[in-house]
Amino acid sequence: MNTILNPLYSVVSGVIVFIHKLLAPVFGANSGVTWSLSIMGLVVLIRIILIPLFVKQIKSQRALTALQPHMKEIQKKYKDDRQKQSEEMMKLYKEHKTNPLASCFPVLAQAPIFFSLFTVLNGIAKNKPHGFLKGDYLVSAAQAKFFGAPISQSFLGSSQTTVKIVTVLLIAFMSGTTFTTQRQLMVKGMPKMDSSNNMMLQQQKIMLYLFPVIFAISGVNFPVGVLIYWSTTNLWTWGQQFYVIKRNPTPGSPAYEELQKKRAHKAKTEGKEIEGIDQNEAIEPEVLGQRQQPKKKKKKK
Amino acid sequence: MRKIAVALMRAYQIATSNVAPRCKYYPSCSNYAITAVGRYGAKGVAMSAWRIMRCNPWSGGGVDYVDENLDSADVKSLLVMNEKLSMNEKEVVGAN
Repeated sequence: MNTILNPLYSVVSGVIVFIHKLLAPVFGANSGVTWSLSIMGLVVLIRIILIPLFVKQIKSQRALTALQPHMKEIQKKYKDDRQKQSEEMMKLYKEHKTNPLASCFPVLAQAPIFFSLFTVLNGIAKNKPHGFLKGDYLVSAAQAKFFGAPISQSFLGSSQTTVKIVTVLLIAFMSGTTFTTQRQLMVKGMPKMDSSNNMMLQQQKIMLYLFPVIFAISGVNFPVGVLIYWSTTNLWTWGQQFYVIKRNPTPGSPAYEELQKKRAHKAKTEGKEIEGIDQNEAIEPEVLGQRQQPKKKKKKK
Repeated sequence: MRKIAVALMRAYQIATSNVAPRCKYYPSCSNYAITAVGRYGAKGVAMSAWRIMRCNPWSGGGVDYVDENLDSADVKSLLVMNEKLSMNEKEVVGAN
């Protein structure tokens, strides 16, 4: 196990120490701010690496508009057989070489990183070096504080009141961001659906209560540093989604209609042509072209 | 052991059903794993790991069953057909 994880420890601790080196002249080498920002920097780095994947996914989601009639047809044809319906849907995506759904691997691949960070930060508390986090860095990190709570301490592992308060606040923050992200997507980001909407609302309600519980159960065992990592990731996810929904919403979603209205209004007040809608009309034939192309060489692969 | 593993995966599904909505493949990686581990045990674990590796940004996804001869919709609807012989003849023809 350790042979697999050791390189990861080095990467995680290396990135943290590197950012720490960059920030030390600004905030001071032993400052909690420097260490906290180093952990956040690790998140930002990982998420920046993942942005191309996100963009790719968004693009294939847009290409889906062109497939809408086919999808409706499938839904109608196999409305009694959900499995067959899903099968045909997948075949349709494959035929058109687009897949709006996320892949599992990048999501699951983050788990070892998370686990390594957990070990590295726990090592700080136990004065046990991992990777590049050793010697002076270890001593410095051990006393670094995030709003008064040492980043290596956890809710259950510490008797300090500040640690308890800070961990509880971070857990609340994590629950809050996860929920608002989900809600934002449900309310504004998705095309209006008929039958499945109800089920989603139900799921959303379950999530509202389940997530704080999951976060609370796991969060009390995690060092403050890991909670910082987790909160930052959640915040990033929220921000990313907020940006996409505002600037580049899914066609057919409430946010899309809002944006079109706004553009039309702006164009009117400025006395210009209706730019926003024109642009969208210009995009559509392009998408149609994309749809027909793969159709011709469908047996190629 | 298998039952515990399957139960754990079900718990994972419930916990993540809204975070990571779905998967590129049908059945999803987690459903695939549940079927594979439930049916083949350790070999199923290896199959699931390989499936997750394949579920990456460069793959196109698609329909991918643990065993198409046991799990696909056509096979399942045939099983239902055997039970209710009289009905739905048209639909199966359409499905094929």
